[in-house]
Amino acid sequence: MFMHVFTYRLKCLLRDYQSIFWTLLFPLIMATFFNMAFSNLNSAEAFNPINVAVVNNEEYLQDGSFKTALEKASTGDGRLFNLSVVSAEEADQMLRDNIIDGYIIAGRPIKLVVSKSGLNQNIIKSFIDNYIHTVSVFGTILSKAPGKLQDLLNDINNRVNYVKEVSTTSAEPDNIILYFYSLIAMSCFYGGFLGMREVSDIQANISPVAARINTAPVHKLKTYLYSSAASIIIHLAEMYILLAYLIFILKVDFGSKTAYVLLTTFIGSIAGFSFGAFISALVKKSEGLKVGIIISVTMLCCFLAGMMNQDMKYVISKNAPVLSYLNPVNLLTDAFYSLYYYDTYTRFFTNIVMLAAFIAVFCSGTYLIIRRRKYASL
Amino acid sequence: MQVFKLCLKILYKNKGLMLIYIVIFLAISIIMSLTAANDSPTDALFNPVKTTIAFISEDDTPLINGFKEELARVADFADIPDETEALQDALFFRQVSCILRIPAGFTAEFMNGGNARLEKMSIPNSVKNVHIDLFIDNYFNTAGIYVQNMDGITQQELVTYLKKDLSGTASVEMKTNGKKTSNLTFLNYFFNYFAYSLLSIIILGMSTLTLIFNDRDLKMRNNCSPVSSNSMSMQFILASLAFTFISWLIMVILCLLVKSGSGFSVNTVFLIISSFVFAFCCSGISFLIGNLVKSRDAITAVTNVVALGMSFISGVFVPQEFIGSSVLKIASFTPAYWYVKANNTIAGLNAFTFDAIKPVLYDLLIVIGFGLAFFSVSLAVRKRNRSFA
Repeated sequence: MFMHVFTYRLKCLLRDYQSIFWTLLFPLIMATFFNMAFSNLNSAEAFNPINVAVVNNEEYLQDGSFKTALEKASTGDGRLFNLSVVSAEEADQMLRDNIIDGYIIAGRPIKLVVSKSGLNQNIIKSFIDNYIHTVSVFGTILSKAPGKLQDLLNDINNRVNYVKEVSTTSAEPDNIILYFYSLIAMSCFYGGFLGMREVSDIQANISPVAARINTAPVHKLKTYLYSSAASIIIHLAEMYILLAYLIFILKVDFGSKTAYVLLTTFIGSIAGFSFGAFISALVKKSEGLKVGIIISVTMLCCFLAGMMNQDMKYVISKNAPVLSYLNPVNLLTDAFYSLYYYDTYTRFFTNIVMLAAFIAVFCSGTYLIIRRRKYASL
Repeated sequence: MQVFKLCLKILYKNKGLMLIYIVIFLAISIIMSLTAANDSPTDALFNPVKTTIAFISEDDTPLINGFKEELARVADFADIPDETEALQDALFFRQVSCILRIPAGFTAEFMNGGNARLEKMSIPNSVKNVHIDLFIDNYFNTAGIYVQNMDGITQQELVTYLKKDLSGTASVEMKTNGKKTSNLTFLNYFFNYFAYSLLSIIILGMSTLTLIFNDRDLKMRNNCSPVSSNSMSMQFILASLAFTFISWLIMVILCLLVKSGSGFSVNTVFLIISSFVFAFCCSGISFLIGNLVKSRDAITAVTNVVALGMSFISGVFVPQEFIGSSVLKIASFTPAYWYVKANNTIAGLNAFTFDAIKPVLYDLLIVIGFGLAFFSVSLAVRKRNRSFA
């Protein structure tokens, strides 16, 4: 009996191009767009040498130490500036054309001319401030201990780097990947469409197919489980195709714990399916309304899990942690995130256990609603 | 004009659905623009930009306290508990750009001229950290000079000296390009999101019409009427333009109501004109899709793929400057790319001479070209469909 129901259900579902589109092709297309749009996003916060000009006037040529300091900051790989030495008019023109972020006029005091106050402008200012500070230190020390000039000049050339970089974890804090994680979570919950159909197709008052199936002398729970198995197999295959596409083609980093990533996807797929089944059992209205509810609940959860704006996820987890545990999409996204980013498994397993609890609630809810339904007339 | 009137009647009958579409997409656009456009307006004065960092000190000494006080000039301190996961989260979600940890015994080692180091966890190669690094290195190098050259200096003395030395700053002059009073970031983002919202609304709205007209029986009935097929197509196009115009008008008016406080500039007028040109193009796209796609379900799918896809690659959701050049090349085959490009140029305009607006006109001409092309292709498709009917 199992093989019979299972095979025919499989054939039925594979010919339903619309649900195949939404559960498989749509996530794949979205992943491609995400990749195209976001691949360069990290460069937005990366540091590139700042374009600066200095006015080539008498003061600049005279002030040897400032000239040296500026030139030193503009050479080498880790340099701070791309420096051009130009006339005052040229500098003005370059600033107006946005070629440079600001230009410096040497003298006492040293002057900086900018057209807006951004981070780059602040870095130029900090650099000049630092120079001014060093000059001031020389003054203070020489007034207290004259004759130290040579020592000071030596010290100034032995600048030490006082900051030691320590890495947080083995993974880089690359926050673009979170978009892909929430995309998988969304696709898992689109599996709800399959779950919805399974429940609709065994309730004789909802669809004619169900009416036919109900007349067959097979236990209803068995029919439901067998045909659900077909749905779950299809959805799981779709999710693994998506995962493979993300990992092998788009090169999204999932960390090194591959077995756990597969497990999370499996649980996510079941959670999505049972969610759809539960909604379908709960809402005894048209299919359009069920689809509407599944889509809007999924989208709301995705939004709260940070699919549209990542800060949302952080804000909720800080201010309303309960909400982030009651949002199955967030649990799923967070499970992938903790696998990627944390070295410990505590948060990962918390997420998985919570998801399992959701699955249990959805499944038992569905069962309690649709069991022992009898129809006097159809 | 029977066809035209009929179209308007059908649309009017579905006005509830249309309004729901408009309100939903308008709400999405406004929320997205508000979250995206949170950078500060250009001021006439130079503002220090502060970076938010986490500061954890395991070494409570006058030197470190003095350092923290000075650091506050370039940094805001976020209040984050000293737990690994909380710190990692804050870094990942960019709540802080780095976490600075002063290890115990740092001061003692530093005062003895030893090898003292601060520990920093950060987003690799971030521009904000360059600013912080510059400040930290400056502070401790300056302090180091004192420690080396003034024997027996106490921490308190050191902090006092440093405070005095670090008070000198460069004088900064702001040279803004002309007067730039109104902040156009919100409107720029909003009109960029138009590419997504307007396109979705118009495709969804128009498809309601075409689906009815594509009904087989109705089509055969219409074909045997004494109205020429060309006239029918033209009336249909006219109806689709009318629908486009009304949805566009509602959205623009609602947007201006939401943002009525920020004043009305010439730039805004140009943004409205450019969105009008784009609306014409959307109308063409929806007409083409309506003629190509037969079922309602397929139209939802096509709408999503076309509207989302075009918006993602042509800089609606992610600013064009952050998108790779090869992706932008592909995007330049879509009208949204030229529309967004025109909007971005308009938002940066200060003068409205012909030379300044020439690039905008050029971009908008391309958008119009796209629109005309979509309409012509649709007419060809209609002709072919008719010969099959």
